[in-house]
Amino acid sequence: MKMWKIFIRISFISLFLSLMACQDLTEELAGIEPADAKKITITMIAKSASNPVFQSARIGAEAAAEDLSDKYSKISVKIDWRTPKEEDPQEQAERILNAVEDGTDAIIVSCSDDSILTAAINTAVESGVPVMTFDSDAPSSKRFAFYGPNNAEIGENVLDRLVSVMGESGQVAILGGNENAPNLQERVKGVMKAAEKYSGIEIVGPFYHVETAEAAVAEMKRISAEYPNLKGWAMVGGWPFFDETLLNEMSPGKVNIVAVDALPMQLGYIDKGIVDVFLGQPTFRWGEVPVQKIIDKIHLEKEVDEYNQMKLIPVWKENLGGWSRQLRAWGYRDVAVEYLTK
Amino acid sequence: MSANKPHVTAASDRLTAGQMIAYGLGSIVNNLLGAAIGFMSIVLNVGLGMNPALVGLLQAIPRLTDSLTDPVMGYVSDKTRSRFGRRRPYIFIGALGVGLVFALMWQLPEGHSESFYFWFFLAGSIIFYMFYTVFATPWVALGYELTSDYHERTRLMGVMNFMGQFAWITLPWFYAIMENDRLFSDSVEGARTLAIVIGIFVAVVGIMPALFLREKFIAGDDDSDEEKVSLLAGLKNNVSMFMKGLVTTLKQREFLKLCAGTFFLFNGIMLVGAFSSYIMIFYVSGGDNDMGAQYMGIYGTINTIATLLAIVVVTWLSSRLGKRMTFMLATAVTLVGSLLKWFCYDPMVPWKILLVAPLMAVGMGALFTLMGSMVADVCDLDELETGERREGMFGSIYWWMVKLGMALAFFLSGYLLNATGFDVALGGAQTESTFFWMKVYDVIIPAVAAGLSIWAVASFKITEEKSEEIRAQLDARREKAGAEPATA
Repeated sequence: MKMWKIFIRISFISLFLSLMACQDLTEELAGIEPADAKKITITMIAKSASNPVFQSARIGAEAAAEDLSDKYSKISVKIDWRTPKEEDPQEQAERILNAVEDGTDAIIVSCSDDSILTAAINTAVESGVPVMTFDSDAPSSKRFAFYGPNNAEIGENVLDRLVSVMGESGQVAILGGNENAPNLQERVKGVMKAAEKYSGIEIVGPFYHVETAEAAVAEMKRISAEYPNLKGWAMVGGWPFFDETLLNEMSPGKVNIVAVDALPMQLGYIDKGIVDVFLGQPTFRWGEVPVQKIIDKIHLEKEVDEYNQMKLIPVWKENLGGWSRQLRAWGYRDVAVEYLTK
Repeated sequence: MSANKPHVTAASDRLTAGQMIAYGLGSIVNNLLGAAIGFMSIVLNVGLGMNPALVGLLQAIPRLTDSLTDPVMGYVSDKTRSRFGRRRPYIFIGALGVGLVFALMWQLPEGHSESFYFWFFLAGSIIFYMFYTVFATPWVALGYELTSDYHERTRLMGVMNFMGQFAWITLPWFYAIMENDRLFSDSVEGARTLAIVIGIFVAVVGIMPALFLREKFIAGDDDSDEEKVSLLAGLKNNVSMFMKGLVTTLKQREFLKLCAGTFFLFNGIMLVGAFSSYIMIFYVSGGDNDMGAQYMGIYGTINTIATLLAIVVVTWLSSRLGKRMTFMLATAVTLVGSLLKWFCYDPMVPWKILLVAPLMAVGMGALFTLMGSMVADVCDLDELETGERREGMFGSIYWWMVKLGMALAFFLSGYLLNATGFDVALGGAQTESTFFWMKVYDVIIPAVAAGLSIWAVASFKITEEKSEEIRAQLDARREKAGAEPATA
């Protein structure tokens, strides 16, 4: 028998046997969902649908839902996106109650105002719908778990990284954003606590402002004029870099800056050397992790830790390309091509 | 390649399709056994909560004992005289034994301590590898001696390597099968059942070469005239003979060239095997696991199909160009493919990397097709020089070298990854220097290794003409000694 005939026969027999033996897997490959898979609907209510960080979280949640449906053939997980267009805690509370009425299986929520949302969360839980918070917690509610950063640790990290680039002596100003935001207060405390380790560091501030780029830039200019010997900025948010104003006004290297957040519109500040380090939030995981935890709890009946800490990722000139590609993978569409190809 | 007349395989040297397939079935079993433990061991960690370091140790220790038993088994098989032959009895017993042990070693009872699972599985693994050696070493040797024809050997090895690929296709599905929540309550139960299925498959399919093939060199040295000696003296004599045989084998220059050629190419690719996945996920896909896995899946599928095609083409081409030239050509294609990776890892055009998948497959497709055939040619040369047929010893040392290299590659790849500065906590946000060095290692190591492999094999002396010369001399010698010429 000719060799090629042997090869072809072996291939066909093997293919046939494989398909017969692995009907289950073949169905999976073809994307056929088993008819008796139990549908699990997870309602996702983030702070604002117009904020790209929450769009990224949505992509994370949907990716996790798809992965889990593939992994566990007895369930089919769907994400029910009910995020208000703009931040509105009252509307978030209403949407929680509507989702419960519509028969959702679980809710994940980032609270715009925990004092308003706690009651709605408790109602949902009392109706038998488990709730998990992400990004912004409602600690006194009956939610079973929270996924987000340890804000005090973030503050400490900001100062430690600033010291590592500017040295252990000099004047450092803290930019604090909204004075009433509990998460920002914790971060500021973290910065102060870390400063105690360095005797040569003199802290000025914290300085609070309205959370817009214009207000933050104005505050920065005011403080810079007031403290001409300022050596560094510890920013617990990235507000001054939400637009391009400072890209042309600041010279790189004059002061050292470490700030939280590393969104696409801010990357130019790293590239130009104006900001030394951003601490980027893996916003994709805001959606991904809570969905996994919900399935652990309601399908696999596993114990879930109440606090699930999200670690921030440092971004500096050396990993700007990698971070840019990571942002694109997380669903951000406005990452400049020049950074993607670095 | 004969310049004067086209090569015609004598009828007595031809193997039927049935014989080739029977031998090839052994290849499926061999590949399945070689990799199944590795693919299923994740259950020890995920299902039973065993420390990953202990799981790693469970992989390493039995391989050490395995590397010691391989040459011994080769020697024992070469020296065996029985009416069923030197290889078939071992293949038969080995296949049944290894199938049974494999099925039993995964019947891990629940609710025991980590140390219980460690010792249970370690004992099982050591016994498993012993039976695996009893099966595999004589099976490899049998392939070297089934035909004396220069090209028929390549065709046999082509079919063997082609069929062996089907084991590699099924292996990545093992975890999905064990984790299938419709079939099993958990992955541990999945592993138990899967192991029984694999055990039965191995036992049934593994004995096929023993049942359907006939050995060429059953008759040989007759030990009946040997002096009766004490057990201790006999053992001492055997150890001394074994060591002598080992040294003789390691002095065979042509064999060493093949070992070096295999070592460089195979381990060069294995050493950076994990790097491709890391670069695909963290660089090309920006840390998107799903996207990276998707591209790796497509890459793997293209690679597998290309390997199957490469085996067919290489088998055909070697009858035109000769084994050495075909090997060098195929390895050169892989070298070029490796260098092209530098330009094809492109985060803006991720699919570009798929273009190199077929090129990378050519070298690997050629390697185990041609090397098996070339080692068989070396066995003829060795018989001419030593008067002994020692396929077992050559086969076991060849595969020992492959396994040792593989273990070394796995060991070093972790260090190499650390040397790039890779930090898993950064996800896709690795530094430029990390990505640079990952790409450098991934491109340069296989390319240099392929170059060294070509260099090692370039001076291999057994051409078709030389092989025919050797065979004529061996046939003449056998006729003179009253034995049959080497016919099937």
